[in-house]
Amino acid sequence: MLAPLPVRASAPMQRTLRVEASQFAYAPAVLEVNPGDTVTIELVSKDVVHGLYLDGYGVSVMADPGQTASLTFTADKAGSFRFRCNVTCGALHPFMIGKIQVGPNTWLIRAIALTVIAGLAMLVLRPKLAKPEAG
Amino acid sequence: MKRSELLSRILIISGILLVLAVPFAAQGTRAQGVIEIHGRMAETGGWNPSTFQAKAGVPIHLRLTSEDVMHGFAIGQSDTPVVDVLPGQMTEMTITFDKPGTYTFYCTRWCGPNHWRMRGKIEVSGDTLESPEPGTAPLYMNLNLEIDAAHPAVVTPVGIPDAQRGKQFSGLLPAAYQSPDYYRSQSPAQAFEDLRADPILVSLKDAEIWDLVAYVWQSNSTPEGVVEGKRLFAQNCAACHGETGGGNGVFSGKIQALAGKIPANFTDPALMLGAAPALLQGKMLRGGMGTGMPSWGPILTEQQTWDIISYLYTFQFKENIARWGK
Amino acid sequence: MRFELTRIPSVKTLLKNRWPQLLIWFAMLAGFLFAIQAGLFGTTVGNRNFGIVFVWIAWWAVLILVAVPFFGRGWCAVCPISLPGEWLQRGAIMAPPVKKPRWLNLRWPNKLRNIWLQNLTFTLVALFSSVILTTPKVTAIVLAAMFFLAIGMSLVFERRTFCRYICPVGGFIGLYAQAAPLELRVKDKQVCLTCKDKPCYNGTTVELRGSSQAGYGCPWDVFPGGLTKNTYCGLCMECLRTCPYDNIAVNARPFSADLAKPSTRMDEAFKAFIMLGAAMVYAGVFLGPWGTLKLAAYSVGTTAWSVYAVAFLGFIFVLLPASFLGAVWIGKVFSRVKTTLKKSFTALATALVPLGLMFWVAFSLSFVLTNAAYIVSSLSDPFGWGWNLFGGAAFPWQPMLTSVLVPLQTLVLVGGLLWTATTARKASLEVNISAVPVIVFSTAVTIAMLGLLL
Repeated sequence: MLAPLPVRASAPMQRTLRVEASQFAYAPAVLEVNPGDTVTIELVSKDVVHGLYLDGYGVSVMADPGQTASLTFTADKAGSFRFRCNVTCGALHPFMIGKIQVGPNTWLIRAIALTVIAGLAMLVLRPKLAKPEAG
Repeated sequence: MKRSELLSRILIISGILLVLAVPFAAQGTRAQGVIEIHGRMAETGGWNPSTFQAKAGVPIHLRLTSEDVMHGFAIGQSDTPVVDVLPGQMTEMTITFDKPGTYTFYCTRWCGPNHWRMRGKIEVSGDTLESPEPGTAPLYMNLNLEIDAAHPAVVTPVGIPDAQRGKQFSGLLPAAYQSPDYYRSQSPAQAFEDLRADPILVSLKDAEIWDLVAYVWQSNSTPEGVVEGKRLFAQNCAACHGETGGGNGVFSGKIQALAGKIPANFTDPALMLGAAPALLQGKMLRGGMGTGMPSWGPILTEQQTWDIISYLYTFQFKENIARWGK
Repeated sequence: MRFELTRIPSVKTLLKNRWPQLLIWFAMLAGFLFAIQAGLFGTTVGNRNFGIVFVWIAWWAVLILVAVPFFGRGWCAVCPISLPGEWLQRGAIMAPPVKKPRWLNLRWPNKLRNIWLQNLTFTLVALFSSVILTTPKVTAIVLAAMFFLAIGMSLVFERRTFCRYICPVGGFIGLYAQAAPLELRVKDKQVCLTCKDKPCYNGTTVELRGSSQAGYGCPWDVFPGGLTKNTYCGLCMECLRTCPYDNIAVNARPFSADLAKPSTRMDEAFKAFIMLGAAMVYAGVFLGPWGTLKLAAYSVGTTAWSVYAVAFLGFIFVLLPASFLGAVWIGKVFSRVKTTLKKSFTALATALVPLGLMFWVAFSLSFVLTNAAYIVSSLSDPFGWGWNLFGGAAFPWQPMLTSVLVPLQTLVLVGGLLWTATTARKASLEVNISAVPVIVFSTAVTIAMLGLLL
């Protein structure tokens, strides 16, 4: 479970992804890139000023409607990261969220494996259960 | 009653009264002479207050905040710095108006298709005895241009006219065509027809005449002007007209629903080459008759309108700003 | 295995003396009223409003990450909502006055002496949470409504009927308090048997009124001598003050002690499903990338919202309980001893208590760590009016501890599963059915929650 997952080795490439931001969602909301890619996100705001802040990387960008903004970074951290709006854009602003998958979501896969093992352990192991205390 | 009971009651009641008094006390201690303006998207109220008074020469202190999304604040036709107006936060600024008059303040960050309606007025009164300057009528009025009439270009070029190529023929160009008055009152298509008909240029091919037209257009603007025009376009026009001028900006769908057609496509030669600068300026200043086109009259200075217009023509004519002017 | 905290003299004094409690109450009441004011008069921008930030980020974080897991109903001990009503009802803030005021003091009707109303109020809050959590005025109205309702109920009914039977928070705090490592119990039941007046429940006698030994009967309508679970004891410490035999103790104990005795109540079982389901829905709606879902949850009154409401209610009231019932039934099929399905269902639903708690902890960690920075700015500028009381008004928004979040959530959820499975096994022994299907069910929902959060 702790061993590295087999990953399709792919050469890092340059990717440009166009993301439209509107109250209160990104489109597309889920992006997929490979680890090592140089990713450029082009943020297109469709109604008011929106931002995009990437968890885990700490980079961000802001776009006015009519002025596409670019954010370029190297996806050197693998896993699943949420990105969020960092310019207050209305009531549901704190919940304006998207996700970027850099490679497979290894943490989730491992967590699920751990969960399954835990469940199985509880089904299989038979420790001596102390009788519940009276009163 | 017991002392502890009395003490506890005093504590609770005075504490509660103190807490309840906080917001009201705060309102009372607000400094005199400060004008607090709350901004909302135009659909839900716009600026509040939307008009206020000032005196020429007397500084006014403004506190600006937004109640929904990010806005901006600027004063039309003025070089007062532009400030951001942030949701739930206060921006403070001080302005002094030198001349009396009515000034327009407006939002500088697109906040929906009705962003341009988010405007207000400042009435500045003064003691100066000089009478206010009479406003000058925009050029299209003096030229009697029908700015709402369709203006398709009768002839359009094959390929993209290149001002740099046209420059080589500039020596042949009669002086009449080089004046700003000519440029402003003619559409490129009209200019093509005039040049085509001129006996001096009869030896030039059509494409070369178009290049010459492009050169005339280019020589009526400066590199700085075009760069400024591009900046103003991005800030004010691209949201509807598209970042590449194709009439496909992020609000074009809403404009279509409102007006029955999308915003003007500046990449369309038939449309653009049939429009004279004065006509474009007229549309820009007056705005739209239900088309959703804002009236930029109170906001842009005359130079700014010419700058934007010189940028608009770059969608039709090849510009190489770096090489230019040599 | 218990450690009596009240054996320590300073602890006992702190809890018995009315002043420390009063000072905390004062702070909470002031903060609560301030939050309502901020919500009503302050900026409409949620993340710059003290009302939103201090209720849904600061208070919620402390409640679900600290108070409930470690102190059970500890929040109820300091909650300000019941206070003015109770002070009016009692006619005093401190010890009982000589003359008791004459309010109606009605007994709460028998049919409503359960937590079904609390299930309803929590479900309503959860259903409208997108609007409540993001609109300062609505938060203020909800808080004010609870406040005035509590006051009104104190003048009509006896004791703290709002807290015990209506409060949406109390419903789940009580349920999860069973898992906490803190309890209030009597030291020796025999002493209670010989006690005539039972002032812990009835209040001290008339003769003592006006003296420092005077105290009130349990406002939670609980007889301390009969307390075996934390579920309904609000840790108000009144019985600690009234017991003439010093027979009340506050103990530290292992986690999960009350869960060894499975519940037999359907209202508590459904509370467990409501909480489990709501945590999953919140993870999807608030933390997921699905904009349509968020808008549907927010746009109250539209068709989209009606669809969302039906789906939400269906999930927590039908889908989850029905599939759990299926798991219980399968476990029962292979058992030899005849236990009723209802008894097996309620007993095994007890096992969902730790899982639900951990689901809420995992969900809240994400929400809180992402937005905790607003606590600093809203302390300095609570109304969004441009104040800067402590210099922190311009503190920038910045998610915190992001590298730690995902491992922490995993630990919490897997730990919750292990905890729940252990509880399920204990409960299944009591009702003689197999815990296997329930453990499978718990594993499945844990995987779903991981998928939603990670």
